[in-house]
Amino acid sequence: MTTGPLSKSMPLTTKLSHTAVFWIGFCVVMAVLIVAPLVLPEYWRRFLTEILIWGLLAMSSDILIGYTGMVSFGHSAFFGLGMYGAAAALLIVSPPNLWLAILFGLGGAAGAALFVAYFSTRLRDIYFAITTLIFSQIFYVIIFTWTEVTGGENGLIFSRPHFTIPFLYDTRFSTATLHWFVLAVVAGSYVLLRRIMQSPFGMVLQSIRENEARTRAIGYPVERYKIVAVMLSGLFAGLAGVLYAVQNQFAAAEFVFFTTSGDTVIFNVMGGIGTLVGPIVGAGFFQLIRELLSRIFGDQFPYLIPLGVIFIVMIIFLPQGLLGFARRWLNR
Amino acid sequence: MSGEAVNDVRSPANGRTAASVPVLKTELLTVRFGGLAALSKVNFEVKRDEVCAIIGPNGAGKSTFFNCLTGVLKPTSGRILFDGEDITGLPSNTISQKGIARSYQITNIMPNASALENVRIAAQSRRHAWNMISHHSAFPNINERAEAALRSVGLLDKADQLAANLSHGEQRNLEIGIALATEPTLLCLDEPTAGMSTAETHDTLQLVRRIAKNLTILIVEHDMQVVMELCHRITVLHYGEILADGTPEEIQRNSKVQEVYLKT
Ligand SMILES: Nc1ncnc2c1ncn2[C@@H]1O[C@H](COP(=O)(O)OP(=O)(O)OP(=O)(O)O)[C@@H](O)[C@H]1O
Ligand SMILES: [Mg+2]
Repeated sequence: MTTGPLSKSMPLTTKLSHTAVFWIGFCVVMAVLIVAPLVLPEYWRRFLTEILIWGLLAMSSDILIGYTGMVSFGHSAFFGLGMYGAAAALLIVSPPNLWLAILFGLGGAAGAALFVAYFSTRLRDIYFAITTLIFSQIFYVIIFTWTEVTGGENGLIFSRPHFTIPFLYDTRFSTATLHWFVLAVVAGSYVLLRRIMQSPFGMVLQSIRENEARTRAIGYPVERYKIVAVMLSGLFAGLAGVLYAVQNQFAAAEFVFFTTSGDTVIFNVMGGIGTLVGPIVGAGFFQLIRELLSRIFGDQFPYLIPLGVIFIVMIIFLPQGLLGFARRWLNR
Repeated sequence: MSGEAVNDVRSPANGRTAASVPVLKTELLTVRFGGLAALSKVNFEVKRDEVCAIIGPNGAGKSTFFNCLTGVLKPTSGRILFDGEDITGLPSNTISQKGIARSYQITNIMPNASALENVRIAAQSRRHAWNMISHHSAFPNINERAEAALRSVGLLDKADQLAANLSHGEQRNLEIGIALATEPTLLCLDEPTAGMSTAETHDTLQLVRRIAKNLTILIVEHDMQVVMELCHRITVLHYGEILADGTPEEIQRNSKVQEVYLKT
C-alpha cells in the first residue's frame, strides 16, 4: 500500500494497457463463443445458447445484487413477463415477428419492474428481498390460474419467429444462427451494462451499496436511483425471458416461480457479484454441473443435493465467486 | 497557512458587511425521543462567514441538532430556516442540494472505495449525476472539484488508496473532504477531531481554519482551548437547552457555563 513515485507516473500507461487487455480478452471469449456452434453437436449448441440466456438473466440481477446492494428475488417475474410478453406477440401477430416479440417482452417486464420498484425500493435488505419475492409469487399465481390467457399449467406453445431486418432480410433461425443472435444480444447487453455501471449513474448505485445514508446525505435522491436500477435490471431480465421463449418456443408458469429467482441469485454468488460477467460464468458452471450429474446418474437423480454441497463449499472457500478476484479490474 | 491568515479568520476586524445576514436560523426547535427532550425550544442563529461552535457535555443534544439541520431527523416541533427558506423536515438529499453539508462524529465514509472515489461521488452529486453513458472519470469539472477537496484536506497524495486503509486521522479528514466536495455554503462539523492524536488534532484545526475563509462553519468540539481560539461565537447546550450564547470571552466569563461545563 505504498504510493511510491512510480504510481504518480503510472496511471496513464496502466489505464491504456488495462483497456487493451480487457478488450483483447473480450474478443478472445467472443471468438470462442462464435466458433462454438460450428464445432459443437446440436445438443451442446442449444445448451450453450441456453447458458447465455440464463447468464443474461443473472447479469441483469447483478445490477441490483452486486452494484446497488439489493438482493432481488423478483427476477422470475421479470423473466416470466418477458417470456409471456414475447408469447403474446408471437401468438397474436402473424407471421410471428421477432422484434415485436422483443418489444412486447420488454413492455411486460417493464410493467412488472415498475410495479415492484414502486412498492419495494423504500425497503431495505431482507425486507426488500422478501417483498420482491412476494410480488413475483403474485405474478406466478396470476399466470398459473388465468388459464384462458396464459394457458395456466400447460403454458403456451408457439412457433419461432424468423430473423428479419424489415424490407431487407428474412431467414429462418438455425440452432447456429439463433446462437449467434443470442450471443450478439448478450454481448451487447454486457457492453452496455458495463458502461452504465461505470457511468456517473452507476457510481451512484455503487455508492448506495457502500453507504446508503451517506449517499443520501451528499445529495442523491436514493429512492429514485433505486427505482431506475430495478427498472433497468427488470428490462434486461425481460430480454432474457424473450430469448428463452424464442429458443424454446414455449412459455411456462414454472419459470415465474420463485425458484427461478433463487437460481439467479445462486448464479450470481457462484460467479462473483458485482462483475457482470461473473454471473454468466456462474450460470454456465451451475448448468454444466447439473448436466454432468444427470448424465452420470440419470434424469431422476436429485442433483440439487450435490449442487447444494458444491455451493456451500464454494461459499466457504471462494466467497467472492469464480470471478470475484477480478472485480475491481473488470469495473475499471 | 501563514500565521497572519489564521489570525485573520477569527479577528473581529474581519467582520464583513454580509456578516449580519443569518444563513441559518432555528425557531423553537424541539426533538423528543419518547419522554426525553433531546432538544427543547432551541433558538439559534449562524451569520454568514461566521465560525460558530456548539459545546456541551455528552448527551447535550449536539448531534441531534445536526441531525435536524441535515434532515436525518424530523424535529418534533419548531422550524429551521436556511437562507430564509423553511427547510424543516426536508429529506437530507434535498438539504444537501440547498447547501448544507456535514461530517459525522462517527466516521461515515465508503471504506471500499479509494479516497478519490469517496470525494468524487460527492462532487458528482452536483453535476452529470444521471449520466448513464459516459465513463465516470471523463468529466474534468468533477475531477477538479474532487481533487480540490482532497487537496484541501491534505489527502491528495493518498488519492488512490482505499479509504479503509487510511489511518483514523486521515479518515476523519476524508470525512470533511466528502462534505467539502458538495460545495456547501454551510458546513457542519461534528467533532472532527474525535479520536485524533494531538498532532493530528492540530493539523485538522489548521485545515478548518483554512476552509473557514470561504465558508460558514458550525462545529461541535470538545476541546475548549480549540473552540476558544477558532470560533467567533459559542453556544452552550445543556440537556437540550441553550445555556449560554456569546463570544468566547463572554462564554468564559459566564458563571452558569463554568458551573456545568468548564469545571469538569
Ligand atoms: N435516535 C435516538 N433515539 C433515542 N434517543 C436518542 C437518539 N439519538 C440521541 N438520543 C438521546 O438524545 C440525547 C442527545 O444525544 P446527542 O447524540 O445529540 O448528544 P451529543 O450532545 O451529541 O453527545 P456526545 O457529546 O456524546 O456526542 C442523548 O440522551 C441520547 O441518548
Ligand atoms: Mg454527538
